[in-house]
Amino acid sequence: MIDVNTVYTTVLSILNKEQRGYLTPYEFNNLGRQVQLDIFESYFEDLNQMLRVPQENTEYADRVKLLREKIATFETSANIAVAVSNNLGNYDFSAQNPAVHRFGMLEYTNGSNLPVEVEKVTRHDFLSYRRSPLTTPTEDYPICYIEGTNIKILPAIAKAAAGANGSPAKSYTLEYVKKPVDPIWHYTVGSVGQYIFDPVSSGTSKNFEISDVDQTELITKILMYAGVIIRDPEIVQTAAGLSNQQDVNEKS
Amino acid sequence: MNRTSATTPITENDAQYYAGQYGPLKNTSGGVQAVWSFPDLNTTLISNYDTISGAQVRDTGNFTLHLLATSTTIPSTANQITVSNIVVTNTTNNTVEIKTGDAIPDGEFIFLQLTDIAIGDNWGSYSYLTLNEIIDNFLNIYTGEDQIIKSLQRKQVLFHARRAIQELSYDTLKAYKSQELTVPTGLSVPIPKDYVNYTRVAWTDGSGVLHTIYPLSGLSGNPYELPITDGKTGVPSQSSYDTNLEASQSIIEDKWKKANQKDLVGNYDAYSSTGVFDYVWWKQAYGQRYGLDATVSQSNGWFSINERTGKFSFSSNLINKVIQLSYISDGLSYTLNSIVPKMVEEALYAQILNRVCMTRRDIDGATKGFFKRDSYVKTRNAKLRIQNLKLDEIAQAFRGQSKWIKH
Repeated sequence: MIDVNTVYTTVLSILNKEQRGYLTPYEFNNLGRQVQLDIFESYFEDLNQMLRVPQENTEYADRVKLLREKIATFETSANIAVAVSNNLGNYDFSAQNPAVHRFGMLEYTNGSNLPVEVEKVTRHDFLSYRRSPLTTPTEDYPICYIEGTNIKILPAIAKAAAGANGSPAKSYTLEYVKKPVDPIWHYTVGSVGQYIFDPVSSGTSKNFEISDVDQTELITKILMYAGVIIRDPEIVQTAAGLSNQQDVNEKS
Repeated sequence: MNRTSATTPITENDAQYYAGQYGPLKNTSGGVQAVWSFPDLNTTLISNYDTISGAQVRDTGNFTLHLLATSTTIPSTANQITVSNIVVTNTTNNTVEIKTGDAIPDGEFIFLQLTDIAIGDNWGSYSYLTLNEIIDNFLNIYTGEDQIIKSLQRKQVLFHARRAIQELSYDTLKAYKSQELTVPTGLSVPIPKDYVNYTRVAWTDGSGVLHTIYPLSGLSGNPYELPITDGKTGVPSQSSYDTNLEASQSIIEDKWKKANQKDLVGNYDAYSSTGVFDYVWWKQAYGQRYGLDATVSQSNGWFSINERTGKFSFSSNLINKVIQLSYISDGLSYTLNSIVPKMVEEALYAQILNRVCMTRRDIDGATKGFFKRDSYVKTRNAKLRIQNLKLDEIAQAFRGQSKWIKH
């Protein structure tokens, strides 16, 4: 979590625009959303890169571990109500709250059995699994694929509560990554027309949700875009240089 | 036969394991209790009925339930709950539901007793684990980050694990499947439902000693098709639907059924003209038989597998004999989650790893070669383990080393 006011005031300080007129809160909020998503998406690509590099098993220098911790902030799970339709288990996650940004894993639990992963496969593989008696999906090894915002599951087993007659409960748990909340630097207009920050505790302003480890990168990237807005190539070049240097340092 | 594997660690207590008894469990619910679970039992409960007071769906369940007034009441047929009033509703927890009228009143007890066969199926259950456990272990431990196989579709493991258990069933695992049959007057019995190949066919004498029955090996035959041919041209005749007409019975098989075994094995009537060696005065065939043909000189009889009729056929001297047909299946005939002896667990991991890696392009040849050798060695070790070569037994067999082999 990074304090949105700290970032805004730092950006303004670096831009040396004391009158706060050249990067308005509206522009800052837009840039903040853009840069937060930029950094957030880079977690997954960076993790992929780092998994190919042997890591140090140390407390603070393990990049894979650090990236996982950053992503873990956004990992969440939900019990979902799978219903049966057209001989397939089906769940529409379009109304899921918080919204599904990246599908992680679907788990199925039958009664007191250990949970089993509903393996996510492509539609092609989904059909291919069914064609061999040795790989056809069973309650022990179910499979699913994504079609739009629907999860299609085989075998077709609906979510069910434990029956009064002792039939086992059947449940699904969706593990996924949610999208970070957009940062908002909310304000009221003061008596002399100045912007007065509404603290986050008031509920109108929102902090950056990404890890505070990324505060420096966040500021330099906002500066880079801010330089474009105020048409100052020096700011753009300096910020881009700093950002690239940090990227190189983090991945070398 | 419904063998089970025990949990690790074992959850059954001694009474559950040795006597197949669960309870008595007291109803402390404060009301009548109709639903009961027996989760610690390895054996999966099977009821005769799938719905209470519905139609019976199988010959016999594998347990009885008793309603006991006190914890010391002896379970008996008098207090047994009628089987048609019991259904198993959840095989995960072994949950049963009892018809309301027979349900357990508050303060009274329920007692479960497995049938003798079900208890026997569970004995020795700790020497097995299930194929699904092996698959799950493999997926958890052998694949993923920092492993040689980083990413693997589950279907690959499912396929290769199940193929591995099939292959091990053919030549490594114990061939325990067998049927006791009586050879009928028609001299043939159907091939067992889950048959893949036979290991031994034997008839039993009055003492229960088995005598191996040998395959026909070309002595006679079971033709696969029986086309009715034109007597003059030899061309098969067709029906009005343009298909070949087939005879209902094989002439060769009919003749074989009537064959006198003594004529074949050398123990024949010397004065019968069907014998190759006869004593009749003109001595025309005298001396044409030089010794015995070992492959046919036995009096245990013959069997063949008639692919046309899907049956085992036997020679006529075996009529009404009790035989034991020992055979192998592939381990997947009744469930994909078959039980596997723990003795071959490591071999299965090695086989799955070898089979999975063999088809991957991201694994170098040397690693594939290593996995192949590893799989071979571990399978051989598994076979040695399964063969149960104990020192005392080998010593006993070796005591015959100085015995002369007579011809």
